[in-house]
Amino acid sequence: MSASLPPSSSETIVVEGLRVLDRRRLRRLLLLAFALAAVLVLLAPLTATDQADSLGVPQLVDRSQIRILTTVAMFVVMASAWNLVGGLTGYSSFGNVAFFGLGAYTCAVAVDAHRLHLPMAVAIALAPLVPAAFAALVGLPLLRLRGHYFAIATLGTAVAVGEVVKNIDYLGGATGLFPPILHRADLLFLYLMVGAALLAVLVSRLILRSRFGYGLIAIRENEEAAGVIGVNTTAYKVGAFAVAAALTGLAGGVFALWNSFINQELGFSLDFNIQMILMAVLGGAGTLFGPVLGAVALELLIQNLAGRSDVAVYAQIGLGLLLAVTVIFLPRGIVAFFGGGSRLSLTHLRRSLRETSV
Amino acid sequence: MQLFVQQVVLGLLIGGVYVAVAIGFSLVWGILNIVNLAHGALVIVGAYLTWLLFARARVDPFIALPIVAVVLFAFGYALQRALINRVIRAPLFFTLLLTFGVNLVIVNALLVIFKSDFRSVTPSYSGSGFGVAGVQVPYIRLAALGVAGLVAAAVGWLLNRTRTGAAIQAVGADRDAARLVGIDLRHVYALTFAVAAACAGVAGGLISTIQAITPTAGEPYTLQAFVVVVLGGLGRVGATVVGGLVFGLVETLGQTMVPGLGAGWANAIAFAILVLVLIVRPQGLMGRIA
Repeated sequence: MSASLPPSSSETIVVEGLRVLDRRRLRRLLLLAFALAAVLVLLAPLTATDQADSLGVPQLVDRSQIRILTTVAMFVVMASAWNLVGGLTGYSSFGNVAFFGLGAYTCAVAVDAHRLHLPMAVAIALAPLVPAAFAALVGLPLLRLRGHYFAIATLGTAVAVGEVVKNIDYLGGATGLFPPILHRADLLFLYLMVGAALLAVLVSRLILRSRFGYGLIAIRENEEAAGVIGVNTTAYKVGAFAVAAALTGLAGGVFALWNSFINQELGFSLDFNIQMILMAVLGGAGTLFGPVLGAVALELLIQNLAGRSDVAVYAQIGLGLLLAVTVIFLPRGIVAFFGGGSRLSLTHLRRSLRETSV
Repeated sequence: MQLFVQQVVLGLLIGGVYVAVAIGFSLVWGILNIVNLAHGALVIVGAYLTWLLFARARVDPFIALPIVAVVLFAFGYALQRALINRVIRAPLFFTLLLTFGVNLVIVNALLVIFKSDFRSVTPSYSGSGFGVAGVQVPYIRLAALGVAGLVAAAVGWLLNRTRTGAAIQAVGADRDAARLVGIDLRHVYALTFAVAAACAGVAGGLISTIQAITPTAGEPYTLQAFVVVVLGGLGRVGATVVGGLVFGLVETLGQTMVPGLGAGWANAIAFAILVLVLIVRPQGLMGRIA
């Protein structure tokens, strides 16, 4: 028996088993830590209420931080929703902000005393429906287009819808609409928006693990082949588009009520439009938590930099550079970079560069 | 009737500017398969260069155009060679995101340098024109249309009559085959983008003489270039010229001749046309079926 024998096979299995166990345990620990942090972040705002104040609980967050958290949750919804179309189905929509604007205007018109004058809960329930119906309607012709043409047609639709809204007096015209201001409602809107974010993640997870989700992935990988194996591509694509529209519209509706003001520039903001895509791609398009991670990271960055007018211009330059670096070096997003088997290494960078450049 | 003729003339003149803006955009899209979201920013860089030469050195804007073209050519070459070549084989929204990032950097760098004040280039002849049978034709817009025609002719000549143009078209038709016959892809891609940037610079120079400019004024031009290229059809200079003129006409007539619509509807009209053309005739008015 010589010393140069390879390690026995049972040994290998044990080692492999340990590694698998380790990774699984690590993952569970990470998830636990993440959940704990999330619960803390969600409970902390409660210390800002009057009741907590009278009980003598130390205030952990202030109003501006509650505002930032609400915005982050809003972008989690939008990035996750975009991911269903852009990441999962592989149709790079550049017009999802249309759904946000339609949801926002639906809510604003619904609660307005001179228009529909419905209760807030009904308005929020309506917010996803109108954009979803719109998406189903325009999705049929738009989703026949591919590649650049789809991207541009969706962008065109978003801009055109915004302009039309701006020119209709019933919708407030160029001035916009002013839903009634609810006093001391920061927490209500925070939890509404976080609820929408949880819903978006839940829906994404359900879709990712379903026949529907596999169908969408099949469409992304090869649409003709997907059709041949029996995926009803039109229904699947329009379905994904409508679900994304409903979620984005929900975020828009809550935003309109929270902000107590909505106009064309806010509702159909091209900045929002690009930011949600950037977040999904930065985090990892096509994954469940990638868009969430991207939204949290990028929105915190934006809120902390762009809010200060003295550095806003430089923050935008930084954002542009970040975009360029992400696209060139991390084309599969942060999640794939740290989690998906590839390690933080120069080899990985070099390989992804070689794959995409000439 | 006279009003109608006047609007047709104005529409065609505005269409000239759209042609100038869209030629570079069409070239990059057709050859590199990149929708360049920084195109409007390049246009505005050209506009600011023209303004700088006019305000600081009293250079006539139309004499400044070749200088602007050369500067933008160099800038475009460097940009493509250093950055965009790195993602040229990536999925399309990566190129969209990269050019959007470049757009952000350029626009905000302009904001740092020039602030957000309105600037305009006003040579002595601006505002004057001539009239034929009651129809007014402003000199500057006519000259702009003329320059746009020259740019289109020059790009057409470059693409169809020169060896470089043959290489550019070969790369656009089949990248791998072009590499096999010995074409330096990196150089040709950079050259294509450089020509497009030079065209954008010239378009910017023209625009600076027609309207006031700010660092953020470029975005509408990117969108309009989209519409023009889709309208005309991708891949040929002639198609872009037709697309630009038709777009200028439809936009002007739509705003002034259709009751109930006004200047506020310009974008809505443009994108309604865009979406309609994409759905009904995706290859454009002049395009061949790919």
